[in-house]
Amino acid sequence: MEFLDQLLSFNLDRETVFGLFEQSIVFIIGMTAILASLGVVLCATPIYSALYLIGNMVCLAMLFLMFNAEFLAAVQVVVYAGAVMILFLFIIALLGAKKEGREFSFQNFMGLSFVGLLFCELLMAMMVGKTRPVEGKVTPEVIQQVGSAKAIGIELFSNHIVPFELASLLLLVAAVGIISLAKFTYKPMRKRTRT
Amino acid sequence: MIMGAEFVLFVSAAVFSIGALGFVVRKNPLVMFMSVELMLNAVNFLLVGYSNFLNSLDGQIFALIIMTVAAAEVVVGLAIILTIFRTRHELDADHIDVLKG
Repeated sequence: MEFLDQLLSFNLDRETVFGLFEQSIVFIIGMTAILASLGVVLCATPIYSALYLIGNMVCLAMLFLMFNAEFLAAVQVVVYAGAVMILFLFIIALLGAKKEGREFSFQNFMGLSFVGLLFCELLMAMMVGKTRPVEGKVTPEVIQQVGSAKAIGIELFSNHIVPFELASLLLLVAAVGIISLAKFTYKPMRKRTRT
Repeated sequence: MIMGAEFVLFVSAAVFSIGALGFVVRKNPLVMFMSVELMLNAVNFLLVGYSNFLNSLDGQIFALIIMTVAAAEVVVGLAIILTIFRTRHELDADHIDVLKG
């Protein structure tokens, strides 16, 4: 709080200081998300990749909170950082994932240049993009009044009911698919002679 | 208004590109799947940020549906990886080049 008082003595009103504070927090969390995603790609051991991925997802959940999407932040933590990552960690523990060799091959160079090109294209599209924004009516004040979950529920069950039902169908299909994959018995494949 | 739309675009573009890099470069199918999750998350963040800037909830609904699809995709993908491991006893995307199980 002393730091804030010091800032306030520079003829800044409270609103600006808190705006600055909030902006710097959002900036730091965004940079942490980028660093965590780099960790996912660069770590040789899959378990570290999974842990970095959890960090990235938690950072994104915090950013969701900053952008007035409380319900989605909760869903992100529960579904991604909870269910999906637990699944990943179980599979890693089951398969006993090894360390990956780290030689820099021609394919890696090609992939790197492709992704660099992709990133430049994304930045270019972001600078020259001239799309007409479609303003909605649901301002943050409205969301704060009724609550994020209720607002999303009303929107989901009034305007987007068909995608919702299709998502439930998709989950059913996925459940049936993995049961049929797991029940099937396998014969080990012949050892391949060609490498 | 906190940080402008440029920040959201930059972070999401960076995370998406890093995810694409991981998918192209890494050889372990598990890490490739994690990279796909990274890309989906980047798109989710873009949708949520823009739904905030444009005062519309459509982006959040999209993000919710994307999360559902991603969860289903991860479950099926990991089951397939497990099946491949059971038949071949190795996990390397370079060696998985026949569809016959």
